[in-house]
Amino acid sequence: MMGMSPSFASTQAWTISRRSLAERWQLFAGAFLSVTLGVALVQSSLLLLISAALYEPPAGLSAADRMEFTDSTAAVVSMLGIILGIATFLAGFIISSTFAFTVAQRRRDLALLRLVGAGRGQVRRLLLGEAVLLGTLGAAVGVPLGLVVMAAQTWLLRRMGFVPDGFRGEWREWILAGSFGTGIVLAVAGAMVAARRAARVRPLEALRETGDAARVMTVTRWLAGLLFFGGALALIIVAPHGGPDGGAAMAMNVPLPAAIAAAALSPLVVPLLGCLLPTGSGVAGVLARANLWDARRRSASVAAPLIVLVALVVGTAGAGQTFTTSGIDELRRQTHADLVVGTTGPPATAIAAVPGVATASTESSLPVTYTTGHGEDAETETGSALVIDPAAYALAHSAGSSLTSLSGHAVAAGPSGDVPAHGTVKIELPGLKLGSLPIVAAAPTTMSGGADLLLPPGVAPASLLESAPTRSFVTLRPGADLPTTRAALAKIGTVSTTDAWLTADAKARTKTSDKIMLVIMGLGGLYALIGVVNSIVIGAAARRREFAEARITGLTRTQVVRSALLESAAVTVAGLVLGAVAAAGAYWAAVASTAAVTGHGTLSVPWPLVGAVCLVALLVTGATSLITSWSATRRPPITLLAARE
Amino acid sequence: MTRADAAVTLRGVSRVYGRGAAAVRAVDDVTIEFPRGGWTAVMGPSGSGKSTLLHCAAGLERVDAGQVLLGGTDLTAARDRELTALRRTRIGFVFQSFNLIGSLTAAQNVALPLRLAGRRPRGSEVRDTLAAVGLADRVRHRPRELSGGQQQRVAIARAMVTRPDVLFADEPTGALDSSAAHVVLDLMRQMADAGQAIVMVTHDPVAAARADAVIFLRDGRVVDRLAGAGPREVADRLAGWEARR
Repeated sequence: MMGMSPSFASTQAWTISRRSLAERWQLFAGAFLSVTLGVALVQSSLLLLISAALYEPPAGLSAADRMEFTDSTAAVVSMLGIILGIATFLAGFIISSTFAFTVAQRRRDLALLRLVGAGRGQVRRLLLGEAVLLGTLGAAVGVPLGLVVMAAQTWLLRRMGFVPDGFRGEWREWILAGSFGTGIVLAVAGAMVAARRAARVRPLEALRETGDAARVMTVTRWLAGLLFFGGALALIIVAPHGGPDGGAAMAMNVPLPAAIAAAALSPLVVPLLGCLLPTGSGVAGVLARANLWDARRRSASVAAPLIVLVALVVGTAGAGQTFTTSGIDELRRQTHADLVVGTTGPPATAIAAVPGVATASTESSLPVTYTTGHGEDAETETGSALVIDPAAYALAHSAGSSLTSLSGHAVAAGPSGDVPAHGTVKIELPGLKLGSLPIVAAAPTTMSGGADLLLPPGVAPASLLESAPTRSFVTLRPGADLPTTRAALAKIGTVSTTDAWLTADAKARTKTSDKIMLVIMGLGGLYALIGVVNSIVIGAAARRREFAEARITGLTRTQVVRSALLESAAVTVAGLVLGAVAAAGAYWAAVASTAAVTGHGTLSVPWPLVGAVCLVALLVTGATSLITSWSATRRPPITLLAARE
Repeated sequence: MTRADAAVTLRGVSRVYGRGAAAVRAVDDVTIEFPRGGWTAVMGPSGSGKSTLLHCAAGLERVDAGQVLLGGTDLTAARDRELTALRRTRIGFVFQSFNLIGSLTAAQNVALPLRLAGRRPRGSEVRDTLAAVGLADRVRHRPRELSGGQQQRVAIARAMVTRPDVLFADEPTGALDSSAAHVVLDLMRQMADAGQAIVMVTHDPVAAARADAVIFLRDGRVVDRLAGAGPREVADRLAGWEARR
């Protein structure tokens, strides 16, 4: 009955694909851009990750430097792993939401095809054919663009000291196949749901723009929304039970499912939030409010990437900052010392000899490679060890009696919590294999981590300690004169008050995590922002006629543009609010986790970042709406309306 | 019973919108035959259910009760796949708003149903069909380069290229000025004379008067029927039914 030869049908699908590409270029330019940038970002992150994982330390490094190098490479690899994950998530999200939107915008065209005899399969094949075409084209431009992005990311990593100057991302032949695969798979996957839905609609319903065609909250949307909401909720509930590292990881991951849930359910909320906004009682305001309700699909498409942007940047950064702050607060509560003296190598008895000094805990930091477990379970990691005086350390760091048994040829698990409190550990210091040592004690785990291992004096040779960065936490005798003691200590090393030292240490820490945020979020945020612009441009392309009708009705061009601006401002604010809700999920998890680990719930919101994100979002959406609506109303309305007849 | 010369038969067809107290019977137990080789116009006050009747007859709208037969094929029992195949081969549509695909030329628009059916159009097939609607010289034009009347004639050519059993037309002259409408109606008259079955919904008595028969709908029911009447008579009859609301 169908009598359709597949080859002709697909030839036809391709003809229409190419034709419609040429005709509705704004739609396809948007989809193409989303694929291109997604491919570039994923490719660059993947190449950098592989280059870092395979990076060999330059020849001629000392053993200590070699260990430091391995440690920092491991950190860069895991950071690049996160970047790759976020890049892939963003690419998938932005591409699928852009494709879904372009398909929704073309319902009428597709219904027409159905009306003149296109089968459901043909509509589906047409849309998937387009996706393959756009995926291929996007990858073709995305691959060279990816090299530019990689140069930028490498520059960022190098500039911030994450990688040495010699590091460069290397091109691999197979990445061509990988990137084209990524582009095509993401595009097809993004178009799949939209294509199925478009093919299901009966020709008449789509022509009338009622019923299924106009329904925004589809079953898929509800399912995705509720599923990811559940996922976010599960993370929030489990995070406090995950310990310092697990809790932080879970809290920082809340924004991803929360953002998807908020974006999926946004058509329910955006118009409502929009109506609450004071858009004015003028005719432009009335029109803007009506449009918000009527064009829920369009509003949702603009809001979705915004929600992801806010959730990701503000949520992740805020959760990270909360954990950092909580770690510092905890250290402040735990550290009992008046001054901190920084030296290279242990100052031996010099500090204790200073009049006015009661006790001093001297701690020298060494890079270490350690292996825990046996046989197949053996795990080797690179980290840091502190050479300490157990009694003085316990006094200075509220370690109580936990370290009393640490002496002789043994080690204690450090505050990082990465080493188990029992058993043995195989230790290698720079240029020196210590062999297996028993773990006889464990310092309390802290939020901010720290050394992996604590070594008693005598385990590490003096020759190694000579060049080790060392700090001494000094407590003064009651009645000792602070300035005099301080002056005397200043002859031994750099002196700071404990508070100042912790703050400076924290600043250095935050700086690193801020830098990581910048590297991770910078390009990702930019990509999400381009997704927002994309949706506005695609939406405006279809609004020429609507604008023309409004002007024929008697609105001036300024009123039409002002109404479009108001509408975009309302959608932006709604997107920001929903993104903030998703970010709040991460904050909730962070507060609960810090309370569980340290006993004190902490919340630290990066207000300047929040302000900057809101400002940039409002500026970008405002400027885009202004430009697109202004250019869409350039021609006199009558020429546009008459042309349709 | 179905006569052999009926192109489309409706038997006790009803279509209800909404539920309970808010339910509206857009088509209420209509039994009617549209003859093969005849042009039937469907008229009625607005809201009388004439568009719904057309959509039901063409298999575009589900019916709540009754049966729609296209020749011997039961549309009410047909699945989407069969309906799609019917739209390609045995049913043609023309709408008030032309509904051409803007990115395709006139010839490509006309060739579309053939291509969707998996047929490569013969070189002359599309040109001849366009020539038959008087647009032999507009083959490569895109819809926006054509006047409204010309666009509607391309739409008719697109509907006719598959030589359908029935052509359904929903207000085909509704968006046209009177001279463009005249050309389109002449074209449809020619087609009907050549044996094409046409079912047309219109509110224009001039258009309806060109048909072989006019049926009048009110509140979803067929209330009257005229054959061979002039525009004046059709207009009077329509006014009569409108006044009785």
